[in-house]
Amino acid sequence: MDPIFIFEQLLNGVGYGLMLFLLAAGLTLVFGIMDTMNLAHGSLYMAGAYIAARVHEAGGSFVGAVLVAVAATVLVAFLLELLIVRKLYARDHLAQVIATFGVILIADDAVKAVWGPSPLMATTPAALAGPVQLLPELPYPAYRLVLLAVGLLVAVGLYVLVNHTRVGMLVRAGASNRPMAEFMGVRVGRVFSFVFALGAALAALAGALMGPISAVQIGMGEAILIPALVVIVIGGIGSVRGAFVAALLVGLVDTAGRAFLPPLLRSVLPPALAADLGPAFAGIAMYVLMAAVLILKPAGLFPARA
Amino acid sequence: MSDGVMSRTLPASAAARWLPWALLGLLALLPVVGAEMGLDYYVGFVRRMLIVMIAATGLNFILGYGGMAALGHAGFIGVGAYTVVALVDAGASSAWAAWGAAVLVSGAFAALIGAVTLRTRGVYFLMITLAFAQMLYYLAVSLSAYGGDDGYGLYSPLELGFGRTTGDAAVFFWVVLALAALVFAFASRAAVSRFGHALMGIRDNETRMEAMGYPVYRLKLVAFTGAGALAGLAGALLASHNNFVSPATMHWTESATLLVMVVLGGLGRRWGAVLGVAVWLALSEVLKLYTEYWHWPLGLMLIAVVFVAPRGLAGLFERRKA
Amino acid sequence: MTLFVAQDLVKRFGGLLATDHVSLAVEHGEVHALIGPNGAGKSTLVNLISGLLPADGGRIVLDGIDLTAMSAHERVRHGLSRCFQITSVFRGDSVLDNLLLAVQAHAGSSFRCFGRRSGEAALGERALELAHKVGLEGMLDREAGTLPHGVQRKLDVALALAARPKLLLLDEPMAGMGPEDSQQMVELIARLRSDAAILLIEHDMDAVFQLADRISVLDYGKVLASGDTTYIREHPEVQAVYLGTEEAR
Repeated sequence: MDPIFIFEQLLNGVGYGLMLFLLAAGLTLVFGIMDTMNLAHGSLYMAGAYIAARVHEAGGSFVGAVLVAVAATVLVAFLLELLIVRKLYARDHLAQVIATFGVILIADDAVKAVWGPSPLMATTPAALAGPVQLLPELPYPAYRLVLLAVGLLVAVGLYVLVNHTRVGMLVRAGASNRPMAEFMGVRVGRVFSFVFALGAALAALAGALMGPISAVQIGMGEAILIPALVVIVIGGIGSVRGAFVAALLVGLVDTAGRAFLPPLLRSVLPPALAADLGPAFAGIAMYVLMAAVLILKPAGLFPARA
Repeated sequence: MSDGVMSRTLPASAAARWLPWALLGLLALLPVVGAEMGLDYYVGFVRRMLIVMIAATGLNFILGYGGMAALGHAGFIGVGAYTVVALVDAGASSAWAAWGAAVLVSGAFAALIGAVTLRTRGVYFLMITLAFAQMLYYLAVSLSAYGGDDGYGLYSPLELGFGRTTGDAAVFFWVVLALAALVFAFASRAAVSRFGHALMGIRDNETRMEAMGYPVYRLKLVAFTGAGALAGLAGALLASHNNFVSPATMHWTESATLLVMVVLGGLGRRWGAVLGVAVWLALSEVLKLYTEYWHWPLGLMLIAVVFVAPRGLAGLFERRKA
Repeated sequence: MTLFVAQDLVKRFGGLLATDHVSLAVEHGEVHALIGPNGAGKSTLVNLISGLLPADGGRIVLDGIDLTAMSAHERVRHGLSRCFQITSVFRGDSVLDNLLLAVQAHAGSSFRCFGRRSGEAALGERALELAHKVGLEGMLDREAGTLPHGVQRKLDVALALAARPKLLLLDEPMAGMGPEDSQQMVELIARLRSDAAILLIEHDMDAVFQLADRISVLDYGKVLASGDTTYIREHPEVQAVYLGTEEAR
């Protein structure tokens, strides 16, 4: 394999990892602080993707479409938290799984009713449609570069927010020791609502940005939910830093698995067998990573609670 | 689980105890009546329901009685189904041999996977069981000899003995009904056995159970293996029922739906899993007739159950303890 | 022969040495009290001895049998049973069901999954015997979680007794009790010493000096002193470190 190809795939992996991070950050905070498993997080991602695609298509600017998608999704999330999720904080995980699975079913039908059953073709903004010559022999899609930049920016922003602001301090206090935070007078209810909305905004942003390079379709939320859950489990539930590291790991392992494993297998195995095993190994890579991490560190890489 | 959901209830009245059995007995007439009235489709539908109930009963045993929230049960259904495929592909024709092998193979897979996953708890257990089920899913996708992604068609029915085959709709229905009744009887007896009591103790207070001298890990592993074997049986029957097997059987949403049906019916309730499957599948079937938007009423029902009937539908029929 | 020996037990949590080469011995028929200020490592030690925490070093021998490599439930089968500082009963079950569950663990296999347990008369008899022993025979049908704290603690002790232990570990049995309940518990423990040797972890000094034959004092994960009640009462270091600093901590 030539180094250019490897480099290109690694870049793709980092880009996918950053998008996973946007999803996982909200998921891990909601889980860490409110001890709530929200399967409908993927539905917010889907909402972001659909809204951005339609607004962009309707003639809006891409940036405008992304902003509208984020704002609208946050509004939906606000209602979701108020009507359902808030009542689940005190319940066990299973009740949360069941109720938010119910939300997924409703969300998928709602999207089908509004935008129809067939996938949307989200277009790349015209200005970013072409490639950029990264290296003499490596043209790289400009849009994917923007994705990388936005992902990194948000990660840095989130780091500053969580570690260097008052809101972040409250969030961290809630994540590491909720009874103590309540005792110290933190209005946990408000922190919850804020975190939920923040998570929704990040999920919608990820959905809106991923739209042009993936399929905007019903069920996309469920498909991305599993890798996002894998990320927060590897990273340690409740840890944003853990989610970041794990998201990059999963992004790289998943992309590398798909790009490098099939050719590697072809070079050592009979072609028919390699053709069978390649996709299987690539699909499994992420889960093997999680199983290995959990066997060595049962609470993930960066356990939020000591 | 919280105390409220799991609190013990009074034994059911005599009528409530016999009613489910009486209903199962009545179901035996369905193929006869169905043939008369041209309800063949419904005979098949109820047969599928009974098969799913077998898998759900096993899941209810580990989740409801044992407190093990596994999100990978469809993986074992798939192992059972693919065992049948492998045997048929190799030329086997006896249903009992194929189904028996499916039970053994899926039980073995469950024992291996349980041995690794049962070291973890709570959400980590949920996620790692999911991970193993996903691995099985991709394994099935890679089996190009058995159709890979496209699945595998079972073109000739399996022999049930006495010259009957699974192609005989009524006979196959009775066989499934008898197997399901056996599984339900065994599960309800196991629930009040020493093993069942030990399992509930582990669900409620694992540390104390260990400190009272129970081999907690081994007890959980045995329950997990048994539930996996039952899922394998269901998978094998499902393969014969559909005459087709594909990796889609093992997709994680199938595991989630199975979990949802058990909770809907009533966790750790004797007839909870059976009731949950019946309501969920019947509703899906009916809704599909009337609208293409048949998911959202089910979603609404789940949310309603969580908030209004946290003990599940079976819980609604129970008398509350004073 | 000495009934129970713990030798050089070590437990580290990260950099913290929670149990620092602790050695203890309990004789047949003895009540051995383990005292020490909060954070001295008493609970860690109980968890190491009962096997709920893996030790980083040391050895545990009961009645000539080395338990060190055994898991918690195997240790119970060899006669080492314990209670919990935070009452640990099956709150949703009746007192009788609690006792039956404890009894079942020591009378035949719990892997039997076909016979009804309710059909086993021997289990019921043994459960009643236990209820009688701790004075719970009047409330067998009560849901454990609804019982007063003192009664729940008695049930906790009864669950540990079901194993017919040679050595009973009582982890602060009087914790959170009023004087009346405490006195009842003292009387109960005094009755139990004919059945098993007892390692008693307790804060209540009156109870300790009433019950104990010997006392070991734990501080910063180390045994500071070990001896009979008079020896401990007059031990200068114990007075300084334990009695003197009790309030300060």
